[in-house]
Amino acid sequence: MTAAGTVYDRGYRPYDGPLGGRRAAVAALYRATLRRALGFRRPWRQKFLPWLLLGIVTIPAAVNVGVAYVTRDTPIRDFEIINYRVYVGVSSSLLLFVALVAPDVLCPDRRQRVLSLIFARPLSGADYVLAKLAAIGSLLVAFSLLPQIVLYVGNMLVDQDGALNYLTGHADVLWKVPVAVVLLALYYASLGLALSSLTTRRVVAGASILGLLLISSAVAGILGASGGASPATAAVNLLAIPLYVRDIVFLGHIHTVFRLSEFGGGEALAVGVYAGVVAASITVLLWRYRWSEA
Amino acid sequence: MSAGARVQVDNVSAWFGQKVALSELTVEFGPGVTGLLGPNGAGKTTLLRIVTGLLPASRGAVRVAGGDPRQDATVRRVVALVPEDEAVPGPLTARQLVRYRADLNGLGHGGIAAADRALDQVGLTGVADRRLEGFSKGMRQRAKVAAALVSDPQVLVLDEPLNGADPVQRVKLIALFRRLGDDGRTVIVSSHVLHEVERLAERIVVLVNGRLAAEGDRRAIRDAMVGRPRRVLVRASTPRALGAALVAQEAVTGVTVDGDVLTVATARAGDLALALPRVARQVGARLREVRPLDESLESIFRDLVR
Amino acid sequence: MAGPLLRAVGLTKRFGNVTAVDGLTVDVHPGRIGLVGANGAGKTTFFRLLLGLTRPTGGRVEVAGVDVAHDPAGARARLGYMPEHECLPTDQSAADVVATFGELAGLPRSAARQRASEILDLVGLDEARFRPIDGYSTGMRQRTKLAQALVADPELVLLDEPTAGLDPLGRDGMLDLVARLGDFGISVLLATHLLDDVQQVCDQVMMLDAGRLVVSGQTQELLERSGVVLIEVDDRSDLLVAALGQRGVHARTTDDGAIEASLTDDQQLDTIAEVIADLGLPLHRLTTRVGSLDDVFLRRAPAA
Repeated sequence: MTAAGTVYDRGYRPYDGPLGGRRAAVAALYRATLRRALGFRRPWRQKFLPWLLLGIVTIPAAVNVGVAYVTRDTPIRDFEIINYRVYVGVSSSLLLFVALVAPDVLCPDRRQRVLSLIFARPLSGADYVLAKLAAIGSLLVAFSLLPQIVLYVGNMLVDQDGALNYLTGHADVLWKVPVAVVLLALYYASLGLALSSLTTRRVVAGASILGLLLISSAVAGILGASGGASPATAAVNLLAIPLYVRDIVFLGHIHTVFRLSEFGGGEALAVGVYAGVVAASITVLLWRYRWSEA
Repeated sequence: MSAGARVQVDNVSAWFGQKVALSELTVEFGPGVTGLLGPNGAGKTTLLRIVTGLLPASRGAVRVAGGDPRQDATVRRVVALVPEDEAVPGPLTARQLVRYRADLNGLGHGGIAAADRALDQVGLTGVADRRLEGFSKGMRQRAKVAAALVSDPQVLVLDEPLNGADPVQRVKLIALFRRLGDDGRTVIVSSHVLHEVERLAERIVVLVNGRLAAEGDRRAIRDAMVGRPRRVLVRASTPRALGAALVAQEAVTGVTVDGDVLTVATARAGDLALALPRVARQVGARLREVRPLDESLESIFRDLVR
Repeated sequence: MAGPLLRAVGLTKRFGNVTAVDGLTVDVHPGRIGLVGANGAGKTTFFRLLLGLTRPTGGRVEVAGVDVAHDPAGARARLGYMPEHECLPTDQSAADVVATFGELAGLPRSAARQRASEILDLVGLDEARFRPIDGYSTGMRQRTKLAQALVADPELVLLDEPTAGLDPLGRDGMLDLVARLGDFGISVLLATHLLDDVQQVCDQVMMLDAGRLVVSGQTQELLERSGVVLIEVDDRSDLLVAALGQRGVHARTTDDGAIEASLTDDQQLDTIAEVIADLGLPLHRLTTRVGSLDDVFLRRAPAA
């Protein structure tokens, strides 16, 4: 019997498999951006802060549920440390999260000149912006939604009259919260990314995000205190614009210290400024990533 | 124009913490162009810095024109370094940069004429009044060379001077360095681009891991690398017949056949060269090409470093 | 694929009053092509035109039959690009980066990971591929850059100064890799100002000067001057020249002691060998490759 032996050539193998088009590329960039923001496949130091912030932001929900549970036998009527509307809010955790994560997914690509490699792929500038926006938007939605879910489910389970009763009594929350969260996320994602796209340094981008929002809020406060409340002064408060929009979703009108709804057209102004900010941000992004003339 | 000074490196060692950059190195550089070669991390940049007085040797002595480049101010005036990665100040024009260096070297009034001469030597006279930030990489390199030349140094040390230059500029710069060497200056060129060092320098010094691996004329170095067979490529009309006849020669240690190309290995290149035309005639083979494969600096380097 | 690998017809690109590429018309066939020229001669602009990142001011260019202006994504799908500058994210590992770029080119996730692994084998990155790029040497970074260009199985890779910053051994390794790509059926367009790299590895050459194509052709043909041979013996060149003259072979000595002979026909090769044998001279070199690409470039390009 003759023995047989074969040697295989381990050189280069061409690829004959399926090749997705732009959609696959956008999806891949979306996933890669999510991974980067959450610190996967990177040293643990990068994972630490985002998750810490998420933890912090969930604490009030946990506390609320915890207290309700502990006091379930001696009910405190209508106890609420935090209600849903206020919770869809701009906590400092959320702000820090945006200021941390948005620069991190845009600035290094530009700084390390990775964009040359990215745009050598069948991918356009708009695709890049879409993927990044979707990724940061998704993260912000998740960030804001998780504590809400904890709160809702916790309340459901702790309710004296049974979970189902809670559900029927608070059904409107089930659509108001997601809608408000998405609107909030879109606003901060586009604004945060737009500012990040203007610089190569993460720290500068993060500082400018925080700076712009906090300073505009302060300015609005000063204007309001000195000259009296008016729609114009409130409109300057970029930090609070999404809150006004949130109020519209929850209450049908804007509920603030200034009682903006008392002024005619307060809602329209808020929505207008909101749309303007989002549109301007996206325009900036598309302009900053117009990599190809083609 | 001034005659070159000798650079004497005597049993020099240099270390940075745990890393030993140079180890008991003894070598001399004299008038003419010498190429300094070695893999990354071999110690070339360290040696250049020690020779120009920027770094002290941890042990051993360095003498340039008889003086210590670190202590003697007179010695430092005689040496000029064109480092690889130093940035040039963008807002200055080339002329300003070179005049500034002339001032630094205490040339006074004569500095203006010296600057013009230096700029002319590197071929930047036409663009001398343009700002450096608008220069291409190759032009910036030439400006640096001009700045080094303005003090008319006896010892010129260049670290990757041809980086970024286009083919036309490379030829001009190579010609310039050779001229400077022919004038009697001591020119030391450190480079990774071996083909150019081949054209530039008669003498080479090779460092590997901080130690001297070889020095001298490259052909002489090759000849001194005994024990490594030389290979010669021969293209002929009847390769197998020729190959068979060559194998019968004492000088030949092996023959490889690939189509009409023979690769002949020999321990004695000179004997092979003598035998080749004779043997070709005997078997009636027409020689189309004869080419030594190991003479390039590339191949010498590869064999030295492995 | 019918037609040439690359076809440019009157390709022109102007930025304001600077003409970066000027009426380039050339057909390039599969293989290893050297693109040579000074900085600013138009090499980078040419790459950008091929990648569809910039639109021509005039003319057109096709990559594997795809008109880049009409279908830039299609062109990019057939190309791989290795830029000259630093372009890798430093806090990720090579394995991660190459796989991600594979996905960005449209490969399914598992295929991308698989190919990344194979390509990293090919370029010779072993365990280092799992460490962050941060700690890589220049040679390793260059190889990673090459790997991301290959992961999507391109027909043509565009390499911009691939041996920049490498020491002679690193350069050897890189040129070796580039040569092997040709063996695997991947064409290479190698942009460099180092003519020796081109001479070593490329079978075709394109030379650009101020955006214009000044030389193009097979490397071998460009280097050989038909009818001329270069001979090296020992220091008795004059003796040989005289003896050859007597046998009807026109010869002269060159500046560095060699001999250039102009042949009227191939038979004179035999005469040369005979004369050398009769005189008992050692034949060290006999070649029709008279010169290097430097000479070719200098002969053709207008003086800068």
